[in-house]
Amino acid sequence: MQKVVENTKKAFLTGNEAAAWAALAAGAEIMFGYPITPQNEIMHYWTRLAPKYGRNFLQTEDEISAGFTVCGAVQAGKKAFTATAGPGNTLMQEPFSMAEAMRLPLVAIIQQRGGPSSGTVIYSQQEVTLTTFGGNGEGHRIVYSTSSHQEIYDYIIKAFNTAWKYRFPTFVLGDGYQAKMREPLEMYDPEERGIELVKTFPLVGLEGKIGEEREPQHLCNIYSMEEELYEVVMKFAAEYEAISPEVVEYEEKECEDAEILILAHGVVSRAADDAVKALRAQGIKAGYFRPITLRPFPGKQLREAIAKSGAKKMLIAESAYGQFDRLVKQEIYGETIQINNLFMPGVGIIDTDIISKVKSIID
Amino acid sequence: MALIKLALAGEGGQGVQSIAEILAEAAYEENKQAIYIPNFGVEQRGGVSIAFLQVSDQRIGAPKFNKADVVIALSKRAVSRTVRYSDSNTIYVYDSSISVDEEEMPKEAKKIIGLPAIDTANEKLHPRVFNMIIMGAVIGFTNIVSFGSAKFALEKKLGAKFERDPKLRELNYQALEIGRQMAEEALKEGVAN
Repeated sequence: MQKVVENTKKAFLTGNEAAAWAALAAGAEIMFGYPITPQNEIMHYWTRLAPKYGRNFLQTEDEISAGFTVCGAVQAGKKAFTATAGPGNTLMQEPFSMAEAMRLPLVAIIQQRGGPSSGTVIYSQQEVTLTTFGGNGEGHRIVYSTSSHQEIYDYIIKAFNTAWKYRFPTFVLGDGYQAKMREPLEMYDPEERGIELVKTFPLVGLEGKIGEEREPQHLCNIYSMEEELYEVVMKFAAEYEAISPEVVEYEEKECEDAEILILAHGVVSRAADDAVKALRAQGIKAGYFRPITLRPFPGKQLREAIAKSGAKKMLIAESAYGQFDRLVKQEIYGETIQINNLFMPGVGIIDTDIISKVKSIID
Repeated sequence: MALIKLALAGEGGQGVQSIAEILAEAAYEENKQAIYIPNFGVEQRGGVSIAFLQVSDQRIGAPKFNKADVVIALSKRAVSRTVRYSDSNTIYVYDSSISVDEEEMPKEAKKIIGLPAIDTANEKLHPRVFNMIIMGAVIGFTNIVSFGSAKFALEKKLGAKFERDPKLRELNYQALEIGRQMAEEALKEGVAN
């Protein structure tokens, strides 16, 4: 496959452009998509760039179809992906649930927007529940929540590897701000960086006689008995839990002696990071904890941060009304740390919002 | 260089997004950190368009901000949309050709400046380079990028057009320079008009 980024280079792009480049650099062979703001430009850039590198694109009739065509393509061994947002994410829950149930290495980039289908086309963090636990399944998904263009690039490359290594559907969760803003990043060829690209493989049409030369390939999506489904889900749950420790990622700063821990994910973590620096400069011992994977969640690491800091208070900041908060609480059940919230659904959060909230909690 | 926060607002077609994009590009070329984010609601389809630009030597946090160092509003509606970004540290600039009542102006500002950009473009240059006067003024107010970098970024964006019509380059550069002078004088005097 033709190299996309010959030499590491700095670039000044929108997040959507960075996403398209990253998918190319990761060796994605085909994108299936349906237009929706604010992810449109991922499709636009992909359609512009893909032919130059011998990659493909299909615009489907809707998001349900876009998701299912990815399900089909990955079974044929193709490195395929889709991208969507808001109501598109809602519609894609059906194929995403299928990917979960069939253990398909589907990759989806989600650029969160606010409200219902006719809501805003701008920004939010209101697709956390949908992306982590949406659909008729058990949330056996891997979800990376990015906070910068560099991370969009890095984690899209990683998402394909994760999906194909573990065969769990993998999501890169961005938002309207990250999609539309321009900021610098470094683009590179993953293999030049020593990142091995996990090889894809077909799941159907395999050589050899079943039962004699190879094991049967179970890609079951129809269960005639309750017990049958039970067994499969329990097996997947055990496998998901087994791989979780190696998949989990998080970022932690200044937690050792913190009196208050500030939790945020995605783009809001940038404000949280700045807020911690500013609070420390004012003599307030604040710590920063940011899950990068929302699924699986770094619950063990968060409990450790609480324990080592001895913090009595926690602030959870998000651009939604408690979706991230719920993920956190279920992971630290039993802890006695006081939990405070800064819920700003649908709007951006800046460092001063967090700083004044922290001060009001501490006083 | 400390963080500079800029909000540029105008009607669709006034070129506020282009100005912010060129300035962001220029800042990036100077190896600064820059974040440019357009508002991209339904305003895109006929309404007030706002561009948020932040430039710094350090890593920039949140992509938006509550209060700007400089606000530039180029229409009456843009004024009412942007007063919220002004506080006692903000230089609030509006085009002096717009008629705005006293009570519509921001309650808090370090300085409120009426800049005759539209009239100057129409009378002295050409209406199409109005946004270059504004871009020059932004540089005059903030030193967000050097004049040279701005020209370089402009060349990158409009180079092909300039090649076809070298007079256009001259006109754009002139507008930039006039804008910068206007801003510098306005800062000295306090009020330009």
